[in-house]
Amino acid sequence: MISYRLFAPLMGLSLLAASPNPVSGEADLEGKQCFESRKDLSQVQQREIKPGVTNIKCSPTTGGVLYWGDPFDGTIPMGDMPVEADYSHEEAVVKPREPQIDRNKLLTICSMACHNGEYVPYPENKLARPLTMHKDIVPDAMQLKHGKQAIWCLDCHHAATRTKLIDNYGNEVSFNQPQILCGKCHGQVYRSWRDGIHGKRIGMWDKGGKKRWWVCTECHNPHDVQQGERNSGFAQLDPEPAPILPKGMLNTDHERGHGQDHGGTTH
Amino acid sequence: MKRFFQFVFDFLRASFSGGIFFWGWMLFLSFFIMLWVYGEYVQIANGMIVTGLNDQVSWGFYLANFVFMVGVAAAAVTVVFPAYVYKHKELHKIVVLGEMLAIAAVVMCLLFVTAHMGRPDRLWHIFPVIGIFNWPHAMLTWDVLVLTGYLALNIIGGFYYLYKKYTGKPVNKLFYLSIVYIAIVWALSIHTVTAFLINTMPARPMWFHSMMPIKFITTAFAAGPSLIIIVFLLVRKFTPMKIADEAFHLLSQIVVWCLGIALFLTLSEIVTELYPSTEHSLGLQYLMFGHHGLDALVPFFWTAMALMISSFILLLIPRVRKNLLLLPFICLAVFVGIYIEKGMALMIPGVIPTPIGEFAEYFPTHIEFMIVGGVWAIGFFVLTVLIKGAVGVMLGDVRYKEQASHRVQGEQANAVAT
Amino acid sequence: MSSQINKQNNHNSRAKDVSRRDFLRKAGTYSAASLTGAAMLLSPRPARATKNVTWAEHFQKNYRLMTDEEKEEAIERLVKRYSEEFGKKVNVNDTPAIDGVLFGYALNIQKCIGCRRCVKACVAENNQSRGDKQQIEWIRVMRLEKGKFSEEDRDNSGYPQDFGIQVGGNAYKPAGVVLEGQHYYEADKVPEKDAFYLPMQCMQCEKPPCVKVCPVRTTYRDPDGIVVIDYNWCIGCRMCIGACPYWARRFNWGEPDLPAADMNPDTHYLGNRPRMKGVVEKCTFCIQRTRKGRWTGCVEVCPVGARKLGNLLDPDSDVRKILATKKVFRLRADLNTYPKFFYFMN
Repeated sequence: MISYRLFAPLMGLSLLAASPNPVSGEADLEGKQCFESRKDLSQVQQREIKPGVTNIKCSPTTGGVLYWGDPFDGTIPMGDMPVEADYSHEEAVVKPREPQIDRNKLLTICSMACHNGEYVPYPENKLARPLTMHKDIVPDAMQLKHGKQAIWCLDCHHAATRTKLIDNYGNEVSFNQPQILCGKCHGQVYRSWRDGIHGKRIGMWDKGGKKRWWVCTECHNPHDVQQGERNSGFAQLDPEPAPILPKGMLNTDHERGHGQDHGGTTH
Repeated sequence: MKRFFQFVFDFLRASFSGGIFFWGWMLFLSFFIMLWVYGEYVQIANGMIVTGLNDQVSWGFYLANFVFMVGVAAAAVTVVFPAYVYKHKELHKIVVLGEMLAIAAVVMCLLFVTAHMGRPDRLWHIFPVIGIFNWPHAMLTWDVLVLTGYLALNIIGGFYYLYKKYTGKPVNKLFYLSIVYIAIVWALSIHTVTAFLINTMPARPMWFHSMMPIKFITTAFAAGPSLIIIVFLLVRKFTPMKIADEAFHLLSQIVVWCLGIALFLTLSEIVTELYPSTEHSLGLQYLMFGHHGLDALVPFFWTAMALMISSFILLLIPRVRKNLLLLPFICLAVFVGIYIEKGMALMIPGVIPTPIGEFAEYFPTHIEFMIVGGVWAIGFFVLTVLIKGAVGVMLGDVRYKEQASHRVQGEQANAVAT
Repeated sequence: MSSQINKQNNHNSRAKDVSRRDFLRKAGTYSAASLTGAAMLLSPRPARATKNVTWAEHFQKNYRLMTDEEKEEAIERLVKRYSEEFGKKVNVNDTPAIDGVLFGYALNIQKCIGCRRCVKACVAENNQSRGDKQQIEWIRVMRLEKGKFSEEDRDNSGYPQDFGIQVGGNAYKPAGVVLEGQHYYEADKVPEKDAFYLPMQCMQCEKPPCVKVCPVRTTYRDPDGIVVIDYNWCIGCRMCIGACPYWARRFNWGEPDLPAADMNPDTHYLGNRPRMKGVVEKCTFCIQRTRKGRWTGCVEVCPVGARKLGNLLDPDSDVRKILATKKVFRLRADLNTYPKFFYFMN
């Protein structure tokens, strides 16, 4: 048993080394890697879906997706939701989150290497304690930037099956349906999301038209929803370039003069 | 009909005969007209990208000149009005010259509007029947109506009078006077409607006030007669035509009162805008003081103010006003002052900042200067031609010489019938 | 409903596209005449649009007054011209307004992070002129600065100092929020801490001042509430630009610069078809998409889901739900233009 314990992490590491995509995806032969909403966590590979049509068009400056040639490319049915809402009578699809999380085989490795039920023992309770692993995701587990220290990892992650999330009754929730988990606390936002007010949808606007729904983790980082002082809920992105200055203008210094005089008055 | 062609021929012959000064002047103007041809060619070939205009400042030098020239055109009424309504004898004689000035000014207006249009090749879209004339909704269609109507009234009125004078026949007073009275009211309408063109847009707060029409009219009635005074003094100097001093005294009085009212309205506007200093006054503030270092218009505004105020004060002094040697220079100052104040200093800060608050300065390009200069040259060219011909007719130098009496009699009968 | 139709249209056009290319490739090797055609396929920039405009296009009627046959002819002419210019099969749709639909837009001002991706997505979708010479963007994102009130400005740093202060020291400073937006902000990362962002575009007013001032009625409101422009009828007088309180309209000062490779071939006559110099253009709520049921480019691209478009006549639409449940405002409501573009907060 000991030999296996040693072997498993090694196998996981070797998988990591053999993963096809580099961690920070640069352009490769197939086409550019672009991101949809969250940089590095909603990556799409540009490719031709029909002659002359690519699945996405990307911003040359920031690498953000600008245009979907097919808004439903790579999606799966959203699945049953326990409530009556618009999508109950519309074709609703989502982009599975698992491939994103597993893009460096992390998810696979998690369950095989460490959280296989033996290597890392189940904690006795859900109380916060410092982590030795996963500091890349949660730098300081005692200061989790979500829930103001009122929640911790195992309030969301399944203690035994690490490839799953968990609902209030301890049932497994797929990473592809984080809304079921998030809705536990954020009921109002969840309702608003179901109505199409919160969050994002693409595809057909019309009643009955097929829609791709964005799920919570496509926009928000659940391990840092606060995003520091800004408290905006969104990680910072590179903005697209400013418009070209109008003819006759050399700079925009006048726009920056807010701290100084306004008009012809002195003070 | 032959007599009419004879009239046109004789009129033009009178227009285009002159000494070295005349031909030098015409050559001088032709040079600028050639520049206009080139400028228009470049602009039509490349689009308006050759101008300094942009989405932030999409109305500029052309429309500034347009607005000003509409005023000059309307000001012809300052000659006509006292002549006919108050039976002012001295002005009565030279009323036709005012009408000629109006014709030249309206021609300039039309050329400025054409230069402003992005697609002059589609001008026919606005013609009723073959295009869509969005009347009465679009203020621009009203402006088209009043301007073309005013041009027609002045051509008909002016040339009817000259033609009668040319043939030596009495003027049909009922016909002529109705034209004149309609033209008087119409002249007010062209400037009123031009004011409505820009002051009916709440998106542009600097223009959005009901004082615009009256301010337009008063500035027009100051700048217009100033130009008329200069032109008439030149006419008196270079042609044998006699224009009495009295006419100049009346015109300069019109200038001083209208200028005074215009200054008063400007003052009211400044106080109304700057006292509360809301966001809506940013345009005026930019004009007067600049905005965070953007101050292209500031010297122009203060120059205009200095010219207008100082000439107003000078004109208030009767001795100065009646000094016909000094008067043309003061008139020039008034003209230039109002040209700035009502042209660029009205048009540009109206669109700066944009309705969503962006400041972008505007500098006309050499193409715009070529076109504007060229249109002015065309205006002066037309004016010279018209005034020389008209003066010839008025003096009796140009008149119909009877050749075959029986044919003339037949045509006389025709003329009486009309 | 219309997604299937859309797909079929796309599919057909793609098939034609391929066959045309094949034909040109084969023919190009044999006939000198088709060399020009091949050159067009290869050239990165389109030929100057005005050169290929036919007399018939010059003398066509206002789109709204055309009979169905005339519309068909006009569209055929355009398809031919555009396809030659851009070296690909270009669709020009004339999809009319859908019955029972009135488009409305809602933008969550609290969410917007000011990344300007909507601006660029709009350009990619709607064939605007781009490049240094003439850049046209229908969406403008403004940065509004937030700031703190300062203690030292509170008491005696205003003016005049005598007999009590009339203007406090916090006036004219970015205290609270400054009304003047910054249009050309260049942040390293957005959202910034001390700013929020306000995107603006055509508000598709129910009582549009631009339509009222147009002397030739080239711009008008269609039944689904979209204010459209017949680019072939516009005389370029720019009255509409003057009248628009939202600075939503742009003018093609020169011949638009639209690289053939970037040209979006799925167009609408009243929407994103390539424009010519001297005409006005603006946001049409991506009429080429929305009239076929698809969301606009800006709605789809917003990385934070701040943008919503829906049918104002459908009580179940997201926009109607926003109007019913959120705090909503419109810009410059005092002007009674009745925009159908709403801003809201959570």
